[in-house]
Amino acid sequence: MNPNLQRFLKRSARNFGQFWRQLSRNKLAVVSLAMVIAFGLVAIFADLLYEYDFVTSNSLENALLKPGESGIVYYQEKDIEHTYILGSDNYGRDILGRLVHGARVSMIIGFATVAIAILIGGVLGAIAGYKGGLFDTLIMRATDILLSIPTILLAIAIVAALGNSFFNLLIAIATSMIPGYIRIVRASIIQVKDQEFVEAARCIGAGDLRIVLRHILPNITSPIIVQATLNVGSAINWAASLSFLGLGILPPKPEWGNMLSEAREFIQYAPHLLFAPGITILLTVLAYNLIGDGLRDALDPKLKR
Amino acid sequence: MSALVTVKNLKKYFPLKTGIFRRETVWVKALDDVSFDIQDGETLGVVGESGCGKSTLGRTILRMQEATAGEIIFGGDNIAAMDKESLRLKRREMQLIFQDPFSSLNPRMSVGDIIGEPLEIHLALDREERKKRVEELLGVVGLSPYHLRRYPHEFSGGQRQRISIARAIALNPKFLVCDEAVSALDVSIQAQVINLFMELQSRLNLTYLFISHDLSVVRHISNRILVMYLGKAMELTSTSKLFETPLHPYTRALLASVPVPDPHKKVSRRLLTGDVPSPINPPPGCVFHTRCPQAMDRCREEVPQTKESTPGHFVACHLY
Repeated sequence: MNPNLQRFLKRSARNFGQFWRQLSRNKLAVVSLAMVIAFGLVAIFADLLYEYDFVTSNSLENALLKPGESGIVYYQEKDIEHTYILGSDNYGRDILGRLVHGARVSMIIGFATVAIAILIGGVLGAIAGYKGGLFDTLIMRATDILLSIPTILLAIAIVAALGNSFFNLLIAIATSMIPGYIRIVRASIIQVKDQEFVEAARCIGAGDLRIVLRHILPNITSPIIVQATLNVGSAINWAASLSFLGLGILPPKPEWGNMLSEAREFIQYAPHLLFAPGITILLTVLAYNLIGDGLRDALDPKLKR
Repeated sequence: MSALVTVKNLKKYFPLKTGIFRRETVWVKALDDVSFDIQDGETLGVVGESGCGKSTLGRTILRMQEATAGEIIFGGDNIAAMDKESLRLKRREMQLIFQDPFSSLNPRMSVGDIIGEPLEIHLALDREERKKRVEELLGVVGLSPYHLRRYPHEFSGGQRQRISIARAIALNPKFLVCDEAVSALDVSIQAQVINLFMELQSRLNLTYLFISHDLSVVRHISNRILVMYLGKAMELTSTSKLFETPLHPYTRALLASVPVPDPHKKVSRRLLTGDVPSPINPPPGCVFHTRCPQAMDRCREEVPQTKESTPGHFVACHLY
């Protein structure tokens, strides 16, 4: 192996080791991380666990089975015996299967919206913080206006205006998160840009783009990473809320929010229909929040020993 | 010898908004009508109390901040009136060394990247050539090639300052502004870094503007010294003349304040009383008259012009 690469790997391993030691002190964060990784794997391999057609097709004779009960399902032109581990919903669909495929939707929404928000919010925040002056005033006042509207209301308004689709749902959630990133990036850049190494870079003739990308950005990644982790949880929560209200992913597509919404009618006969997606949402969002808190502590240079 | 840098009537005023509605603007006169030149190959020391405009002078000459008025002629071009792109290219020839070796290096970049960055910006070298040049520069400033992959936090203050110096000389500049370049270091390290500066000067034919509040450091390294007070140049002459026959009362007071490292020696000192007046409302006439032991009525009214009292000895005082 190339010695440079070797050295780089060794150094990264050491840095990661230090970071991991910090993070692993926080047991909750470690458990949460394990959970998020498990959910992620389930989302990625959802098709191997349950076929998508299976979790969306009706099998009315098996409606509202209790957890653990089995039924005969006519699927792909044959009768198969199927055990409903978490029971079945009012159309006889496997709840666990729908949760598994719902996890995929939630993960995509969580990561895609945060990526969009970081990209747009990051660029705007960088311009506001680095350029200052009129740019700063315009961008920050626009941010204040966006922040003055309650996030969920803003997302509802956007979906209602643009129409109901997966892409519009992403736009709506990302837009509600953008102001947060603008503020974080702007504040961090203002903190770093007056340090002498930035002035030194200007002195050797570095252009603005190089200064921002090579000198400022690498020094402000920690707060962005923390905010991004926390926001993945919120995005999943908002997506579920919008779907619950009928503004996001619509049935028969499996999504945690619309599962909850459909289950509402059966709360008296089959409460497990509500508990399954409800507890899943709770655990996922909680896990992302706990990881975010753990990362914040682990990445804080003041706590480094 | 010819002048490498000529500074003419340089002014730098900082706006300060005051009043209840922040509508009134007053000006902090950090540099007020300063003129001098720097000869090719010399070291011009700049001394003065904190807040006298030393650092502002260095930064304004390199146009790290815009001058309010005046000219800075460097190698035939007026830096103060240059457009952004030609200024960026001109930066190859003039560099700044900072006071704090801890904040002047990017903590996320390796030493090789830090020193290699000016080469990357200005020269079209391939990776191998650049690495060779960086290793050579590390040798020049007294570090080893294997330091290339380390990060700034792995070095001591003196070593970090050496890294800053290597970055500054990477493009073979003609002119270096050293802004309190050794004040943040231990005394023993200061001596090493000063020796490095002097060695580099003879090797690379550098010209320095050496800013410091430490008179003994400036005396050691400078050919000529500029004394500043409240944004104005008070006296400018060769180092030997300044220490033997200081003319300006402020220079005399400044020299008298140097501590003598001998506890048994009794020195009669005429130390100044009072504080430096605020640069927002500098006193009329000579800015030093409020503290000057030899102030006359004329000093309170008329601003003294810089005169050449003996050849090469410039002083701004009504006494001469």
